Amino acid sequence: MAASTDTANQGLITDKKKRYSAGVLKYRQMGYWDADYVPKDTDTICLFRITPQDGVDPIEAAAAVAGESSTATWTVVWTDRLTACDSYRAKAFKVEAVPNNPGQYFAWVAYDIVLFEEGSISNMTASLIGNVFSFKPLKAARLEDIRIPVAYVKTFKGPPTGLIVERERLDKFGRPLLGATTKPKLGLSARNYGRVIYEGLKGGLDFMKDDENINSQPFMHWRDRFLYVMDGVNKAAAATGEVKGSYLNVTGATMEDVYERAEFAKELGSVVIMLDLVLGWAAIQSMSNWCRKNDMILHMHRAGHGTYTRQKNHGVSFRVMTKWLRLAGVDHLHAGTAVGKLEGDPMTVQGYYNCCRDSYTRQDLSRGLFFDQDWVDMRKVMPVASGGIHAGQMHQLLDLFGDDVVLQFGGGTIGHPAGIQAGAVANRVALECMVKARNEGKDIKNEGPQILRDAARTCTPLKQALDTWGDISFNYASTDTSDYAVTPAMSN
Amino acid sequence: MAGPLYSIPGTTPSAASADPPPAQPPVADGARTVAAVLAQTQAGAVMDELERDLVGLAPVKARIREIAALLVIDKLRLNLGLSAASPSLHMSFVGNPGTGKTTVALRMATILHRLGYIRKGHLVAVTRDDLVGQYIGHTAPKTKEVLKKAMGGVLFIDEAYYLYRPENERDYGQEAIEILLQVMENQRDDLVVILAGYKDRMETFFQSNPGMRSRIAHHVDFPDYQAADLLQIADKMLAQQHYHFGPGARAAFVEYLERRLTQPQFANARSVRNALERARLRQASRLFGDQERELTADDLTTISEADIRASRVFQDAAAAPKK
Amino acid sequence: MMTNPTGRVTQGQFSFLPDLTDAEIVLQVEYGLSKGYAWSVEYTDDAHPRNTYWEMYGMPMFDLKDAAGVMTELAACRATFPEHYIRLMAFDSTRGIESVAMSFIVNRPSKEPGFGLVRMEGRNREIRYTVHSYATDRPENERGGQ
Repeated sequence: MAASTDTANQGLITDKKKRYSAGVLKYRQMGYWDADYVPKDTDTICLFRITPQDGVDPIEAAAAVAGESSTATWTVVWTDRLTACDSYRAKAFKVEAVPNNPGQYFAWVAYDIVLFEEGSISNMTASLIGNVFSFKPLKAARLEDIRIPVAYVKTFKGPPTGLIVERERLDKFGRPLLGATTKPKLGLSARNYGRVIYEGLKGGLDFMKDDENINSQPFMHWRDRFLYVMDGVNKAAAATGEVKGSYLNVTGATMEDVYERAEFAKELGSVVIMLDLVLGWAAIQSMSNWCRKNDMILHMHRAGHGTYTRQKNHGVSFRVMTKWLRLAGVDHLHAGTAVGKLEGDPMTVQGYYNCCRDSYTRQDLSRGLFFDQDWVDMRKVMPVASGGIHAGQMHQLLDLFGDDVVLQFGGGTIGHPAGIQAGAVANRVALECMVKARNEGKDIKNEGPQILRDAARTCTPLKQALDTWGDISFNYASTDTSDYAVTPAMSN
Repeated sequence: MAGPLYSIPGTTPSAASADPPPAQPPVADGARTVAAVLAQTQAGAVMDELERDLVGLAPVKARIREIAALLVIDKLRLNLGLSAASPSLHMSFVGNPGTGKTTVALRMATILHRLGYIRKGHLVAVTRDDLVGQYIGHTAPKTKEVLKKAMGGVLFIDEAYYLYRPENERDYGQEAIEILLQVMENQRDDLVVILAGYKDRMETFFQSNPGMRSRIAHHVDFPDYQAADLLQIADKMLAQQHYHFGPGARAAFVEYLERRLTQPQFANARSVRNALERARLRQASRLFGDQERELTADDLTTISEADIRASRVFQDAAAAPKK
Repeated sequence: MMTNPTGRVTQGQFSFLPDLTDAEIVLQVEYGLSKGYAWSVEYTDDAHPRNTYWEMYGMPMFDLKDAAGVMTELAACRATFPEHYIRLMAFDSTRGIESVAMSFIVNRPSKEPGFGLVRMEGRNREIRYTVHSYATDRPENERGGQ
């Protein structure tokens, strides 16, 4: 194909001598742009949102992204010719202006399957969000979404337990699970900490949780914490006849620490351990293998994600993080609340939930999902809604997220005026009456507040909870919303 | 010690049943006229369809209208607080094969559903084999499973008399009958049973099973079709499959019917369907034989006189006088 | 009487609510049927949290159109085992789920015996825990509220 006859691929240098003479070429001249490229079923497709520097042509910018995230360097190298370099180059094949955002463009880039090591998120991320995000000709870049080919999905084992088996193991079906994070986050002694666990679980919660920054500080060493927590967990199981759990955070300074803590949690009979996202991909995948070997539920706290997921023009979307974490193999993942204190507009958050729980995720632009994604029977991740939610929002939470979610009411349990058990009762009664009403065919989205008030007539703890928090909502505009539909902030 | 945090209100189910939701949604509440009930439930539309779609069967249609009338009036009485007991709706449909018993049962299920006498309106059709087991302890679970599937709708038991085999006193059919009777009596709201079969055999069955007879509220007789009805049925069947009679074929079919009616094992509409199936086969063979010919839509949809006359019914008749 | 806030075993979807009436159970069963689930009736005298396999009161009921069939089985089970725990379970056969989709208790013993926690102290402060069912203190054939 001669370059002059093809406007779409204008600039491509096909003459081998010119293409590989020493010097600097434009990325599109080097073959990182191909408007006619039809992605293969085995290709990974990335959608980047790019903001080129002033005067940089968007197509050249897209080609640069493809180049810098695959084989290119800033200048021509003759060693390319020792390789089948045409197939190693990522190919930008489509660029579109972002609606209502002047200066921003969506760029679609396809990557051959040979580029990524089997079963390694570390390797995939090193390419896709490596050098390219510091690349000078771009003011900003964000990886919005990713289509991972079935062939590559199958090189991962995925969640060690998955939400179906988790439910069977816990013997809890047909309703969201309830949890709470122990507060205050820091400072409790292990003995006092275990008290909170016992009260919350006996009162009716399914899970209690360590916070992300509880590891092994001077006020409470990890081993002491595990011992007291497990006494609370087992005592509550006997008092209720239910399986109970508490996410023991095994995060530590080194992998040796992490393994040691996980082994001890297992010895004590815990059903679940917890990791912080900041440990990194290799640690997550290692611990996923460990959990698979030991029948352990792996709870992932997404500590730190906001540094790169929150701003719309730069970083990595949380839906991409969700997909990577499902492949890497976590069982629980904090995926937003839509109605709580933390970032997330309802439709966009539902998009993350879909990526956790679908067997096959469909393209849905209003939820920020740009691609179909076949999960080929990979187990499903249980999403966790945590942060500033309370019993008075139960109808909204159930309506938005359905049954397969852990609802975590930390402050909303421990801050209850009548105590922790009362807080747990309030949440459990609110949850059960809402599930019952929904199954009976009631319109919980609209009748929800009345359903809660009715239940509160015979449940003082719920009445106290509604009186205390009924009017609290966090109605701030979300920063990360879909570009394709207007999504109003959630209100009571 | 402080009082309990939360005591669950009501310790027995009855105490908590202050405001139970209705198990069966009210139908045509507040209606005061027959027209209002028919309009609100759209039962009238089903009866009109029955009238329009089913050829002949005048006595059957009249009986269905009578039953529907009774149910509509019951509804009106209920709306005025006059009647409380739920009526028994179990029926028997008797008649020869192919006289429309299953078809009418399907429509009956819809009418009962529209009028709110059954909750779901589906029809589960079974025979003895579905109800009766092969060994001790096999029959009860089988019968119960069928009953549970039929609940909310109509259980249609074809050739019901096979349930009763007096010649074998250990026959498991009796067990099925007893379970059926119990449910027919105690769970009238949950399902309607229709027993179907030949008239004479059904009579015998009822004589030996008075319990069953006493629980059947409505007996419906399905007479054999007249030749004219059968011809009309044939026209409808052909039209549904995009066929029609060619010149002389219809007259030939009338002759066919006259002969076939006098022969044994005539199964009314079913025999018509079979006869037309065979005619279609012969039409296909005829067209297949002429491989070079371009076939028009008319060629493909026409059943010719020859296709009819090739029937064995004509050959047997031609052969018979020679004997 | 157990010591948790409800005074009873809190397994299942609705243990914190007043006992469901039959009319309310019908609505839950209908919801499950509308999703294509198969219902099953199970009973036990030992509601230990890890007692997964309660006795099946008959096979799961497939292809039902109406709740009446389930309610018939439940009534029969209650008549036979009035002092047992009875639960309704709904199974979802969708590929990728193929598990229980709903589960709730519909009958309880008049006195729920509850459970005790047995601790076995080991080295280094480690403790092994066992949840003990008081219901199992008597031989199997003498249990069940007789």
